[in-house]
Amino acid sequence: MTERVLMKGNEALAYGSLNAGLNAYFAYPITPSTETPETLAREYGNPNYPNFRVFLQAASELEAVNMTLGAACTGALAMTATSSPGFSLKQEAISYAAGMEVPFVVINVNRGGPGLGNLGAEQSDYFQTVKGGGHGGYQLIVLAPNSVQEMFDLPRTAFDLAFKYRNPVIILADAFLGQLKEDIHAVPPGNGLTRDTSWATLGSENGTRHILNSLHLDPDDQENHERHLHEKYEKMRDEVASETFLTDDAEIVLVSYGIASRISKNAVSLARDQGLRLGLLRPITLNPFPYDLVRILAGQGKKLLVVELNAGQMVQDVRLAADGTGRVEHLGRLGGNVPSTKQILAKAKEMMD
Amino acid sequence: MTVAQHRSKDTVSPQETQDGRPKALVLVVPELCKGCELCVYACPSGNLVLSHSLNKKGYHPAIFSYEGTQGPCTACGICYWVCPDLAIWEVRRLKK
Amino acid sequence: MVQIQDDYETKLGQTTGWTGIPTHYCPGCEHGILTRLIGLTLEEMGLLKKAVMVDSVGCSVLAYDYFNCDHIQAPHGRAPAVMAGVKRTHPELIVFTIQGDGDALAIGLLETVYAAIRGEPITVFLYNNSIYGMTGGQMAPTTMPGQITTTTPYGREVESTGNPIDIMKILSPIERVSYLRRGILVPQPVKAKHGLMYQVKNILDAKRIIENAFKVQQKGGYSLVEFLGTCNVNWKMTIEESKHYPFDQTIKQYPPGVFRDRFGIEGKIL
Repeated sequence: MTERVLMKGNEALAYGSLNAGLNAYFAYPITPSTETPETLAREYGNPNYPNFRVFLQAASELEAVNMTLGAACTGALAMTATSSPGFSLKQEAISYAAGMEVPFVVINVNRGGPGLGNLGAEQSDYFQTVKGGGHGGYQLIVLAPNSVQEMFDLPRTAFDLAFKYRNPVIILADAFLGQLKEDIHAVPPGNGLTRDTSWATLGSENGTRHILNSLHLDPDDQENHERHLHEKYEKMRDEVASETFLTDDAEIVLVSYGIASRISKNAVSLARDQGLRLGLLRPITLNPFPYDLVRILAGQGKKLLVVELNAGQMVQDVRLAADGTGRVEHLGRLGGNVPSTKQILAKAKEMMD
Repeated sequence: MTVAQHRSKDTVSPQETQDGRPKALVLVVPELCKGCELCVYACPSGNLVLSHSLNKKGYHPAIFSYEGTQGPCTACGICYWVCPDLAIWEVRRLKK
Repeated sequence: MVQIQDDYETKLGQTTGWTGIPTHYCPGCEHGILTRLIGLTLEEMGLLKKAVMVDSVGCSVLAYDYFNCDHIQAPHGRAPAVMAGVKRTHPELIVFTIQGDGDALAIGLLETVYAAIRGEPITVFLYNNSIYGMTGGQMAPTTMPGQITTTTPYGREVESTGNPIDIMKILSPIERVSYLRRGILVPQPVKAKHGLMYQVKNILDAKRIIENAFKVQQKGGYSLVEFLGTCNVNWKMTIEESKHYPFDQTIKQYPPGVFRDRFGIEGKIL
């Protein structure tokens, strides 16, 4: 039996994680993600969430993510949320976790940047998040919700995938989604996640030591380790997920994620009313990216209009996938501004000529 | 103290042994030793000295002889505690 | 050839706390002595199977090869935070780290202080040799005024770089700290009638200190143990010269002693 509840995006991330069996949360406040730790602080000790054993506010973003790393090394479901400037600070620990193959979840509620930027919604952390913002050749699974319902549902998926692949997983939201209130179906808490933690540092009782490290001084050891990681990333491509809306007979397909995809979807409906054949491809996993789907659409002669809240980031992946077979354009707004459906339609009409 | 000054490890004074056996033994693992000489100087009875030969890493490892320059080994264990490479593997003494 | 048989009993032997893998430490470095002492203590206290060592970034970075327990590698300076994450989710584990003076007092100063503020039941062993060893001898927060390092080739100038910091002074007023102790791992050079000799009293004291620190963790308290050590390679001294330096110079700035003992583990509550 599910409840219908009115909830804010950031709160939904909190409740969704609790439902998935969150064990430990390490907090640092930063607008516009702070409601997530605040919600968890309030729910700490709630007997409905017996798995939620640790809540701690750290003294810095660095302390928070490194505590998350330590907790994750014991096989606990550990998480921390932040926004763009804080996400930059966390890159070192994320790189370590990727190298050590430790699963944890980091939430980035993308705000204006670069630098201090502002508190508005942007999608300017796409490169940083999707292409790996820390040092070294690693990949993360990046999940992009576009509704409060998905903010509630995706933490469970994030933990599932993190433990399946022993890799950090990022939930990339944006300031708009974090603050948005929508009614959702709130599934009651389950029994927590069953997962394999044979690799975790829980002591060497049976004589086997568990060593979680990312240092391999011998070049051959390091090469083999990185090859192993990249084989894993190849397997991760099975997890690609996206949503399509009226793409079959579309002339122009909008490619959009997060809050931009909500506007894009409305633009598609509006366009159809006017007899314009628009469609929408919404990646839900930004990595692995739905290259194959884009390739197919471009190969069908469809034009692609990438609508994102930045000056051109995901459009590069779309161009890569289209591989010269289609016409790819970009429409972006910045600073917390969002394109209107009118703006999108105007651009689409332009492209139709 | 140089290698040359140290007495040969083959001479064992009869009064210090029991039935001809040394009362105390220090087992040094030459391949672990880095020739830092801390044990050589720390030993109160001068039972350790660096060997002429080299181990695989290119160090002159410490070698033990029961009869030291200042007397026989008493299994005091000072060499064991001071060794930074855990090359002083064991300190043993004759059971009573 | 002496026969080694049952006639002999082992007075001092190897410890299962050490994997047997030869260490990479420079000849004469007290990191090796610390390895033996911690290994023995964990074995004697029966804590090896529950121990999780967090490997910090410094000369002890390869500790996962030496200590016979579980290991987690931490980014530079972050060990106290990583240990807190482990300990809070699994309080039954014994967590500890060996940090250099840079890892704990420069890049990791926030993590060090905040773990102390919260009184996290973890154990930090701080190896203070007044220099950055692993990276080849740069200035550390504990480098003495006038000391020559590769980034202070004309001697450390306090007008520009400040004075060396004493973590005991920073942490001892903190309410929830349980055990702050400074010891010396360096064998003390003395003049014997036949020449140079080293005394190992400091080393034996250090073993007791290590045991105290783990006992304090078992009681749920935070402990930071700072050990003075040498770095003859980066101090550009012979091994023998380097053993004099801590007793001649370093202890003037960093005197050994008990700076906090909330449980009275050394006899007196401080």
